[in-house]
Amino acid sequence: MEFITFKDLNKLRSIINAISTSVEVKGIIDSAGTTLPSLFDFAAFGVLWKEGPTLYVFQEESCPSAFTQEVVQNMLKVYSILGEEPIGMERVALQVEKKKLRSKQKVMDPQASVKSHLTLPLVIEGEIIGCISITSDQANMYNVPRLQFFSVFGYQMAASLKHIQRLSTVKKEAFYDTLTNLFNRRHFEERLSAETQKAFEGRSNLSVIMVDIDHFKKVNDTFGHDGGDKILREIASLLKNSVRQHDTVARYGGEEFVLLLPGVPLDSTNMVAERIRRLVEDTLFDMGPTQIHVTISLGISNFPIHRVKSKEELVKMADLALYEAKKGGRNRVCIFKG
Amino acid sequence: MKERREEKFSSDLVSDLYTNLLKGIWESVSALIGEAILALLFNLAIRKIGERYSLLKSLKVSEEGLALEEVKKSCRNLPPAEIHRGFQSLINELSHLFSELTEGVITKELLPKVLPKVREAERMVLKK
Repeated sequence: MEFITFKDLNKLRSIINAISTSVEVKGIIDSAGTTLPSLFDFAAFGVLWKEGPTLYVFQEESCPSAFTQEVVQNMLKVYSILGEEPIGMERVALQVEKKKLRSKQKVMDPQASVKSHLTLPLVIEGEIIGCISITSDQANMYNVPRLQFFSVFGYQMAASLKHIQRLSTVKKEAFYDTLTNLFNRRHFEERLSAETQKAFEGRSNLSVIMVDIDHFKKVNDTFGHDGGDKILREIASLLKNSVRQHDTVARYGGEEFVLLLPGVPLDSTNMVAERIRRLVEDTLFDMGPTQIHVTISLGISNFPIHRVKSKEELVKMADLALYEAKKGGRNRVCIFKG
Repeated sequence: MKERREEKFSSDLVSDLYTNLLKGIWESVSALIGEAILALLFNLAIRKIGERYSLLKSLKVSEEGLALEEVKKSCRNLPPAEIHRGFQSLINELSHLFSELTEGVITKELLPKVLPKVREAERMVLKK
């Protein structure tokens, strides 16, 4: 019978400490993979993380690939036994990291197979968020004290992973509009502050395009709010794909969007806006049994052309130009005229 | 009348024996893998075996432990053999889950505690 020693408890404490201080999933797995060998003898340590799903395998350098496959199959099997939807290997993103865990004398046999393992679900608030496993090529490697240690480690792992999952949700909700997946207005304001400051200091170009869907109320009245939401999502996607990666596209509110284009002069901004207008005009939106055309109106402002002194003024001018586009008959681009 | 009373008496005995056994399993295994994982495994087993033995559906399990009163009540109107089969299947399913997760580690701990009790229940049912 093996007894838990004070030294073992200290090792467990160090492992828990290492994984608790990580702020990303990969960091947790790396910390665990690096510190676990002080407490467990294993050839492979695996974490199946439901998000993705991703299977991280941290293993001994001399681990043969057939062994890795066995580890993967075993984890997927246990995961499906735990009542979770079975995951085929083709759906799992596999990340294998090899490390020197054993001395030269204990290099693994190329024919090695899984002889013992401990696999536990990662459970938090009754929900399975994945599972963890340590695997050995030696028989009867694990006993009661090791299982107890591994379960304590598993609970901490589950808590840390859940914490990161929550953080990422909060972060996403703080930045993004949940319907369109574009940046939300709050994040746009932050980007606008940063970009105007940069442009004012460097006397570089900064353009704003305000976009509004024409007769959107009619779309909502005809196709209901689900139909309206579909149009919002599709136009959002068209806008996002029409500009550079470092440009900011945000939902400003309702059926209104805003684009922030750093370093783009007025004439180029006008070309971008006109291209977007035509793209939307030419797109047939699938509304179930029928297809419809939708148009948009756009208003442009630019620094330094419009001699704005604040970020608020830059947006206001684009908004006034948008108003002109609407007044002029819609489905058009207007540049602010002071 | 006497026969019915005897059967009820033995139903109570079999259900007491198994509910005590489940309590024992809970105490032993929760010390190894913790209450949250164990509750999850119990609920998985109940969901699966409860399809065949509906008496198990009244067995409620949470991280706080096992709530056995309702399942004991359900047992009162069932023949001892049915109670035995239901609980035996549940314990087999739990053992299967334990084996899949930790191979022999949990089962080795449990076997000496569980087997004699299951045999005792078998004897009770056979005597009947």
